[in-house]
Amino acid sequence: MSPVSGNIKDDPHSTIKSWVELYTDSLFAWACRRVENNSTAEDLVQETFLSAFQSIGKFKGESNPGTWLFSILNHKIIDHHRKKMRNAASPVKHSEPERFFDDNGSWRKEARPQPWHIDEAHLLDNTAFRDILDQCMKKLPDHWFSAVQLKYLEEKDSKDICQDLQLSPSNFWQILHRAKLQLRQCLEKHWFKKER
Amino acid sequence: MRKLMHILMLSCRKATELIDKQLHFTLTPLEKTRLFMHTLFCDACTQYKKQSRFLHKLFFKDHTHPEKLPVSDTTGLKKKILNNLEEK
Repeated sequence: MSPVSGNIKDDPHSTIKSWVELYTDSLFAWACRRVENNSTAEDLVQETFLSAFQSIGKFKGESNPGTWLFSILNHKIIDHHRKKMRNAASPVKHSEPERFFDDNGSWRKEARPQPWHIDEAHLLDNTAFRDILDQCMKKLPDHWFSAVQLKYLEEKDSKDICQDLQLSPSNFWQILHRAKLQLRQCLEKHWFKKER
Repeated sequence: MRKLMHILMLSCRKATELIDKQLHFTLTPLEKTRLFMHTLFCDACTQYKKQSRFLHKLFFKDHTHPEKLPVSDTTGLKKKILNNLEEK
């Protein structure tokens, strides 16, 4: 099954076909968690193989095709979220009703953070927790979700991300902050409270 | 004294903003002092700080580990991709 590097340029069609068999599952699973819905994930995986096919001459036979495909896919995911952020009308709505704080800026009683029992080492291997995390993530407004993905997918300083997006740094961390408030509450309600 | 208290004390809303800002940007010395003073007396924001840090770490880890993901049925998708490539 595994393609021999010498054949890649002679027979790109069968090389890429074998890659589709080998890597579609993991690329799609990854994309589903990184974009807002599965049909977008499908599109991005399709485009990834198309780009790979078109630029197969650039692939160095000695490196791992999976790594190469993942880096193409990640670029596509980042582009997708940048577009979403640019198209978002107003990145932060200041007027939205305050769910977490009262008029004095103190925590509302029902929103006060409770202590969590955190088993950090194994949490991400726990599929039940992952499902809850994904569900909470996808409840975020679209462009907040995009901001979180960009922050953690791009190995870049927040300052550079803002520059790329032509977004003021204070807008960017305000979005991340609001997303964090909402995620925190969602995880507490659906995971940490029940665990206790 | 009251003026000093006013400068030093933050609301929880403001304090949580600074807690998250600190993960992405450097705080000014005044912001740092105000945040320190606030968390000294506020349990809820101290919890928030811990949990915010934890989520930050969790997201980083989550975004760098493509393996170990649940696999769904991709037969249809594979077919679509192959058909698509066939046309090229």
